[in-house]
Amino acid sequence: MNFDYSEMQQMLLDSAERLMKERGQVEKWRERRHIDNGLDADGWAQFAELGWLMLPIPEEAGGLGGTMEDVALLNIALGKGLATEPYINSVVLCAHILAQAGGAQEALLGGIAGGEALVALAHAEIGDRYDIDTPRATTAVHDGNGYRIDGAKSVIFDAPSATHFIVSADLADAGTSLFVVDAGAAGLGLSSYPLVDGTRAADLRFEGVTVDADALLASGAEATDLLFAATDRAAIAAVAQAVGSMEACLDLCSAYMKERKQFGQPIGNFQSLQHMIVDMLVATHQSRSALYGALASLDGEAQARIRAISAAKVVMGEASQLVMRHGVQIHGGYGVTDEYAISHHYRRLLSLEKAYGDIEYHVARLAAAHH
Amino acid sequence: MDFRYTEEDEIFRQDVRAGLRAILPADIRERQRLTTTMNSDTHDQRDWFKLLDDKGWSVPAWPVEYGGTGWSAIRKYIFEDEMYLASAPEFQWTGTHMVGPVIYTFGNDAQKARFLPEIRRGTHIWCQGFSEPGSGSDLASLRTHAKLEGDKYIVNGQKIWTSTAYEADWGFFLVKTDLTVKPQAGISFLLIDMKSPGITVRRIPQINDEEHLCEVFLDNVEVPAENLVGTPGKGWTSAKFLLEHERTSSAFIFWNKRELRRARMIADDIVHDGRPLSQSPAFAGRLARLEADLAALEWSVLRVLANESHGFDASVASSILKLRGSEMQQATTEIQVDLLATRGLRAYVPGRDQPAPSLPDWPEYVPGRTAIATIMRAATLYGGTKQVQKNILAKLAFGL
Repeated sequence: MNFDYSEMQQMLLDSAERLMKERGQVEKWRERRHIDNGLDADGWAQFAELGWLMLPIPEEAGGLGGTMEDVALLNIALGKGLATEPYINSVVLCAHILAQAGGAQEALLGGIAGGEALVALAHAEIGDRYDIDTPRATTAVHDGNGYRIDGAKSVIFDAPSATHFIVSADLADAGTSLFVVDAGAAGLGLSSYPLVDGTRAADLRFEGVTVDADALLASGAEATDLLFAATDRAAIAAVAQAVGSMEACLDLCSAYMKERKQFGQPIGNFQSLQHMIVDMLVATHQSRSALYGALASLDGEAQARIRAISAAKVVMGEASQLVMRHGVQIHGGYGVTDEYAISHHYRRLLSLEKAYGDIEYHVARLAAAHH
Repeated sequence: MDFRYTEEDEIFRQDVRAGLRAILPADIRERQRLTTTMNSDTHDQRDWFKLLDDKGWSVPAWPVEYGGTGWSAIRKYIFEDEMYLASAPEFQWTGTHMVGPVIYTFGNDAQKARFLPEIRRGTHIWCQGFSEPGSGSDLASLRTHAKLEGDKYIVNGQKIWTSTAYEADWGFFLVKTDLTVKPQAGISFLLIDMKSPGITVRRIPQINDEEHLCEVFLDNVEVPAENLVGTPGKGWTSAKFLLEHERTSSAFIFWNKRELRRARMIADDIVHDGRPLSQSPAFAGRLARLEADLAALEWSVLRVLANESHGFDASVASSILKLRGSEMQQATTEIQVDLLATRGLRAYVPGRDQPAPSLPDWPEYVPGRTAIATIMRAATLYGGTKQVQKNILAKLAFGL
């Protein structure tokens, strides 16, 4: 075993931490929150320039062919810097589906790598709780040389800035199938709204949306397997971002405890608060460990992978709740203001716990994986 | 020991229930039922308290001579339980439960005549000016001062975390009137007209997109000397009285009951895998635990109301209520958010006009849940942080 970063990983981390530091001030973050479609285009262009958008994309598709470890390290830095760009959804999740599915749509990977294309997964439907392999109410039927899609999707992350969607729909005789749909397709309606962490989501409505034959990525078990594998990677990236955010909370809180005075002394002198920040430290440390466990499992057998990834998501979920709540408590009244960075980490961690399977979902999946 | 309600109390409950339902306007009830904010709508409170006052029920806990009801502690408890069950707006706590009792206990006749009827009727919104930047739970270190010049105090300083200051008519402030004595000895309790020249209110953007908390800047504000309540320099006594006066309200027992009912309603409404979430092992277990905790909290409240002697200083039991009550407020609103899964992540700006949630995807119970759960983190901060409360308890209960 070797826990040291490779030279390439160290460079990646250095550049990420540098950029996050440069733009990471809370003022900037607050500005970004008010962008209509949720995407800071300049920020995204910087991500592209630094090569981050091509990191996990295979070399033959114009990417860097980076490992999931590389991706996790980058995402730790993104989490630390409160980056809410649609990195996980587009570059980790959807790019993985496109790369694995191959075919005509693989060309879209070049667009993702270059920053021109943003892809969002449109899988969730009303009544779902992170279900992946249940039948879809959205339907696809053969239509001429292509397909016609009808139905609705619910709380689709990053949809307002997406240029394309990967849409799951029930295709007659083939089961759940995945299609690439252009965001500007006729018959596709978006009802957008902000989420608590400043990102955007939308409910999608498909009314006779037609796509060409080569829009089909996969069907049946192949489609479901792709969805599971890609969502698991997204979950790992979410854990990584949460680890970064929690590590930032530790920095924010320890600094605050040294500077803030109450009853004539720094509040860091009080044992009750010392124990709180130590609990935060333990939880954060455990989360990074669980993340490493998930990364180690990626190439192993399926059950072990499922267990390790769900365990990481559960450990991170519980830890992030402890860290964000303690973090606010340590800041006193300032913790519940928009002005202090801790409140933004609170909202981000709240979202990361709920994204790609919440605690309850992953506890159930972990428990079921032992049968 | 007999832990049951008497038959007369049960009849009282039915009478109160019928009485409240008869006078509560449907639109106010509906807004309160769907509340998206931690506190009731202040306009509704104003309208509602006029109606309640007409019935003589707006300040049940006050002495009868000032408009109270003379009900026993248990009946006041039943009354408030029914208020929440009827989806009536809450008390204007700062008026009815904080400054009102201070005025009828420490104020002079002129102050009583001037302020009590309006508080009883809910005409004015009051705000509380205690905390200051840097002083938080440490009130003895406050710096806002009031200098007597003729028949006026000239007040200078700054307050923070002043809820609803932006729409308040009056505020009650702790100010230093004597800088020469020990910190707590020089504090006075001053009523200030919030429209006085020299007052600037800045609303603080909050973690939940509300701007309910405020900073209040006082710049040479002239306050008639007659607005000082009690003895100059003895404001600390009034403040302590005020904080200890409502020994059970910090349990937020009725609020907790209402929100647990709401959590159950949401859990019954959301169906997953062919059954309501209230039947899923994970959520059923969490809800059952909350129910158990709430039942214990309710009995703790009743023990305080009955002045049970439990071998500790009387305020030990009320501090326990504050600790558990605030933690329950947090846990109960958190489960509401968890029940909503990703739908709970949608940002709704509380208290402003929102596009109506569209059924069936966005039921009416979705807006506000996350905003309330998020700002509820303040429940273990205000009124003395949880950590400060624990320190006090260790000292009071065990002399540590």
